[in-house]
This record gives sequence, structure tokens and C-alpha cells, in this order.
Amino acid sequence: MSESPSPVDHPVAEPFFQAAAEGRLVVQHCNSCDALRWPPLSGCPECRSRDTTWVEVAPAGTIWSFVVYHRAFSRSLKDQIPYTVAMVQLDEGPYLVGRLVEGKKPPKVGDRVDAEFLEVGGVSTVRWRIA
Amino acid sequence: MQGELPGQSVEEIAVDAAINAVEDSGLTFADLDGLIACKSVQGNGNDVTVGQLLGLNLPYVQSLDYGTCNFSLHLAVAAIGAGLCNTVLLTYGANARSRKFDFGRPMYGADMASAAGLVHIAGRAGLALQRHKAIYGTTDEQFGMLAVGQREWARKNPNAIFRKPLSMDDYLAEKYMVEPLRRSDVTMISDGGVAFVVTTAERAADLPTKPVYISGIAEHAGVRGEHNPENLMRPWLKDAARDIWANTGMGPADIDALYIQDPTALWTLQMLEYYGFCDLGEGGPFLAEGHTLPGGDLPLNTHGGQLSESYTWGWMHLVEAVRQLRGQAGERQLEAPETAMYLSSHGFVKAAASILSTNASVGS
Ligand SMILES: [Zn+2]
Repeated sequence: MSESPSPVDHPVAEPFFQAAAEGRLVVQHCNSCDALRWPPLSGCPECRSRDTTWVEVAPAGTIWSFVVYHRAFSRSLKDQIPYTVAMVQLDEGPYLVGRLVEGKKPPKVGDRVDAEFLEVGGVSTVRWRIA
Repeated sequence: MQGELPGQSVEEIAVDAAINAVEDSGLTFADLDGLIACKSVQGNGNDVTVGQLLGLNLPYVQSLDYGTCNFSLHLAVAAIGAGLCNTVLLTYGANARSRKFDFGRPMYGADMASAAGLVHIAGRAGLALQRHKAIYGTTDEQFGMLAVGQREWARKNPNAIFRKPLSMDDYLAEKYMVEPLRRSDVTMISDGGVAFVVTTAERAADLPTKPVYISGIAEHAGVRGEHNPENLMRPWLKDAARDIWANTGMGPADIDALYIQDPTALWTLQMLEYYGFCDLGEGGPFLAEGHTLPGGDLPLNTHGGQLSESYTWGWMHLVEAVRQLRGQAGERQLEAPETAMYLSSHGFVKAAASILSTNASVGS
């Protein structure tokens, strides 16, 4: 079984983690066509420009979908099951996957969520909480 | 062959399958002029390593990283059509089960999603199913018809690995694996090897074996992946669907037997809808009506698919389609099927469709 590898090993995503450490949510912005993109890429799939900056977006969105893991696919996930992962569509458009903190009611597709910033194993990241 | 083949390399497994396929075709290895090798999930079993064990220096050899059988078949059709070769051997060998391949490892390297625990194909398939349930009202009982139906078919197949009865009550009582997916909604992992011989209709006419004809093929990519809107719903499948029907002049009503590669049952649900066997969002009620079960009017994966028969990247789906069209499917033989359709996909990035027929003049 695999251990959860660190996404920080991807240099193209580094600004995301730096911003998360400061409590800000950022995604890539294409300076040529203004498209926002996530997950990060070295260039823009809309216009093929590589002129990219990172821009802050509202740390809020809507649950596009979610799943509950009852099986751990790696050792490090074993003591975390059951856990919930949500794919959230940010208000600005891109989709961002993260852990969903269980609220008082079970989550539903379409629920509004806010981002929370936290550090897990030395890595700053984002999780979602139902608004 | 499928099941557990401990201690065998994927090349050895592919070669054993190749020997069987060449013998079945009535040809000899000397009659081949092409080899297309589909690599295993670990990346082994390419044209060079398989070709060496087969002892073949051929005019045309090629490998596919992800040769979910349809893609290998289509490359053979293209190579023959281009005149690069005339009679092509397709090979696939897998030992992911006995080698304990880690399917929880992030497929394309670590990213935010895998760090959040979104690992294994069941994660993204589960997201798509949850969305389908929320938008269209698909229920567990409706979706469960796929797993239950695949087991019913597998029970008629002596080669199937999972043959224990699976009732709807059994299914609903199963614990979730990655909710809303249960264990029986997700492919098993097995070892196995498959090979085919593909040649021209003229060449096949001289052979003692009853040939199956390729009436038409189509593919479409969705390689923008996570940069597609609604990506996990795979909306680009409808482009492959449009093309396979246009290329063959056929429609869903012409299909006597349907084969859908099924890493999870969610793939099957999506493809039933996009290829037009029912309307978009209507997969649940359609399945509940029983069309795809034994005795139904749209027999689906009559071998049991990857949920119940074996895990061979869709290669056994094509084997079964050929067996049905040849009338060699034993207890599960359909009544004189003439046309079969085989649909497959490479995760969330590629789709391929083929229509096969007992009749050389059907399709393009
Ligand atoms: Zn752009």
C-alpha cells in the first residue's frame, strides 16, 4: 500500500501552498485570456499561453459532489476512515478537491462550503466546511 | 485465461494467449506481419519484449501504453488500412493480482486531490455517481442492477471468477467501499492474458475459423481532463457516440449484444446514456426495467464483465463479443446475435467504440 505523497513535490503548485500558509486561496490566472485554472498547469489549455500569475479567489464554493471513504487505500489513511472528500466548484469557476469536515447534517450536492486553512504534516492545505 | 497466474511475467502470459489465438485462427506465426502489444498496468509487455519471446521480426510492431482492447483493435484496423501490414497479432498480459499492484497510488503523481485522500479509481467514479444520484434521482436499487446483473451473467460463465449468487438484497446489504460505491460496483483485480488475430476480410475468407467482422470504429479524447467542465461526467463521450453511429449508419436498436468495459459500474451507467441506449439521466430507470439482464432485450456483458468475470482492461469483453457472434458462448449463448457493440474508455481521458458483425457487408 502506498503512503500519501506530498503534493508540494509539484513545483507548479508551490504558490498555492505558500498562499494557504497565509490563509489565502489562490488559483492560476492566464494573463492572455483571463481564464482561471485549477489544478495548476504550466500553460493555459484555453489559449496555449504560458503567461501565468496567481490570483486570490473567494475561499467559498458549492459541493459539486462528495464521497465517503470506508476503505483506506494507504497505511496513512487507515486511522482516518471514514473520511469525506468533496469536489467543490469555487464561486469563480474552477473545481477544487479537499477534505470535507462533517457538519451537523450529512452533506448534500449543492451545499455551500467555506475553505479552512490548516497545516497537516508540515504542509499548509485547504479543507471544506459546510457554510 | 484469467485468475491467478503467480510467478509468470506479463510477457509469458501474453505469449501463451498468443499461441492460443494463432491456433484458433487457423494461421501460423509465419502468416503474421504485425504485432500490437498492449502494456500491462505496470508498463511491461511491450512490442519488443513480447515480440522477442514470440521470436518475430515483423514489418510492423507497436505498443500501446493503455491498450484497453478497443484502442489496440483500432490501431490494427488503421495499420491494415494504411497498408503497413495485413495480419496483426494483438497481445495483452497482466499479473497485477499476483504482483499485488498498488491501485491506491495516485495515477498521475501526487496532487491536492490525492493528498486529500481522493485515491483509487473508485474515488472519482464515486463522485460522478453521487452527482448522478443528486441530479437525476438515481437510486441504489437502480444502480445496483448493474452489479447484480453482471453476477447473473457470470453464473452462466464457467470462466468467471465471481460466481456466487448476488441478489439485490445481498447487494444493498454490502458495506460501502467508497460511498456511494459498494465493493460489487468496482472491478476485481485478476491476472490474465488475451490475444487476437486481426486481418482483412479477404484473408479471413480462406481460413477454417468463422470470422467476426469489424463494421465500424470511433474514438474521442477528453484529455483536457480536470480542465473539462463537469469532467467526471465525461460529457465528451457523446462525441464518440455520434461518430460510431455515423460511421456505421446504425443505431442502438441494431445492437444484439452490448459490451461495456467496466472498471466501475458507473462507467457502464454513463455509456448506456451517452451512446443513446437510454436518455441522459434515465440510466437508473432503464436498468431497473431489466433490459440488460439475461432474457432482456439488451444483453450487457454476457460474460460478467470486470465486476464478476475478470479484470483484463476490457480484453475479455471483446473475447466474449466474438464468442457470442460465433455461437460459442455455451450456457449464456444468445439467440443468433448478428451485431455486437464494444465500448471502452481510458479513465477520464479517452473513449473508443467498435461495432462487430457476423456479416462482412454491414457498416462501413
Ligand atoms: Zn489563456
